[in-house]
Amino acid sequence: MKEPVYEVFARKTREEPLRHIGWVNAMDGDLARVYAWKTYDEQNWAEMCVIPRSAIIPVDPGESQFVTAARDDHEDEIVHSRGTGSYGGGDVAGREGR
Amino acid sequence: MTDTLPAAAAYDKAEQLPADVRAPLRDLILALADSKRVLGLRYSDRMLGSPTLEAGIAASSMAQDEWGHARLTYALLGDLGDDPKALEHERSAGEYRGLQALDRDIEGWSGMTAAALLLDTALAAQYSALLQSRYTPVHNRVQKLLDEERFHFQYAAAWTRRIAAVPELRDGLAAELARYLPEALRWLGRDDAPGAQRLVEEGIVREPASAVRARFLAKVGPVLEETGMAEGLGVARGGDGWSMGAEPDWSGWNDAARRSGGSLDEATAARARGDLNRALLLD
Repeated sequence: MKEPVYEVFARKTREEPLRHIGWVNAMDGDLARVYAWKTYDEQNWAEMCVIPRSAIIPVDPGESQFVTAARDDHEDEIVHSRGTGSYGGGDVAGREGR
Repeated sequence: MTDTLPAAAAYDKAEQLPADVRAPLRDLILALADSKRVLGLRYSDRMLGSPTLEAGIAASSMAQDEWGHARLTYALLGDLGDDPKALEHERSAGEYRGLQALDRDIEGWSGMTAAALLLDTALAAQYSALLQSRYTPVHNRVQKLLDEERFHFQYAAAWTRRIAAVPELRDGLAAELARYLPEALRWLGRDDAPGAQRLVEEGIVREPASAVRARFLAKVGPVLEETGMAEGLGVARGGDGWSMGAEPDWSGWNDAARRSGGSLDEATAARARGDLNRALLLD
């Protein structure tokens, strides 16, 4: 089973723009919020957002890391990353060949 | 006679508290601190081998949160005449007053999820009852802790949904939930325990145990219902709230220790005390 990728954006003050700080794999938005908050906690963020990679529409898909439409296998791998498959985890998702 | 009563004054120091309130307050704070300390240990045992890297990172962070909450909570006991450092590092296993359910290791990811959903949330519910406490030192420290607990609950709820959706894992999850739910409900205590009554009368704890229990059930009930686990656990939505079919089993219950017997094992206590790093402890 592939988990969707959520892009993580944050800012340290209300005045500065949101900037892209990374991404997480998560099975839903609730877990993406938790994972983002717990993974990128080195800064005292004023605001953090997660956005499904599939919801981002690049103006120039050829130049963007954010690919929105899974039109072929290559793009599907970018929208949905196995990401943690080598982690060796276990008792829940392991049966699905992660 | 006036129409409105003046707001009750805050207690800024434990020495201002009525004498018969200090012991039950100490009991409550120690039970919270020990439960947090041991829960953090149990989380840390599960963070490696988690289903995904992100889940492991979050579990690691939650374990650290729990230890931070424990330290913050132990520190409160200094005002009540204890030496927090001695409480953290010098007690034997039998002196720990953590949740009895945590005397045993957490079993697998279903156990981790059930503990996070039920035990962690029960502790958070009890802390919430201190949010508006008249005892200022407690009141001042609880909000940040509860802010962090919001993420623990989201994590637990999402993993409960995830595991419940896997047919071959449902029974195991149900068993872990059934193991922890009665312990969580019982740990919140009895309304008529003399010390607990005084804490509520003095506004130190803002709700009696039954109200905290109802709030706990209102928090976890929807998750259990959504995942089809509620009925098997005897949790039901009814009227304006959630209820549990069976009353907690109070046989052998010690209101002060919030336990009915048993003990943490010495090896786990040694880890909780930090024995291996004792020579490196800083003042």
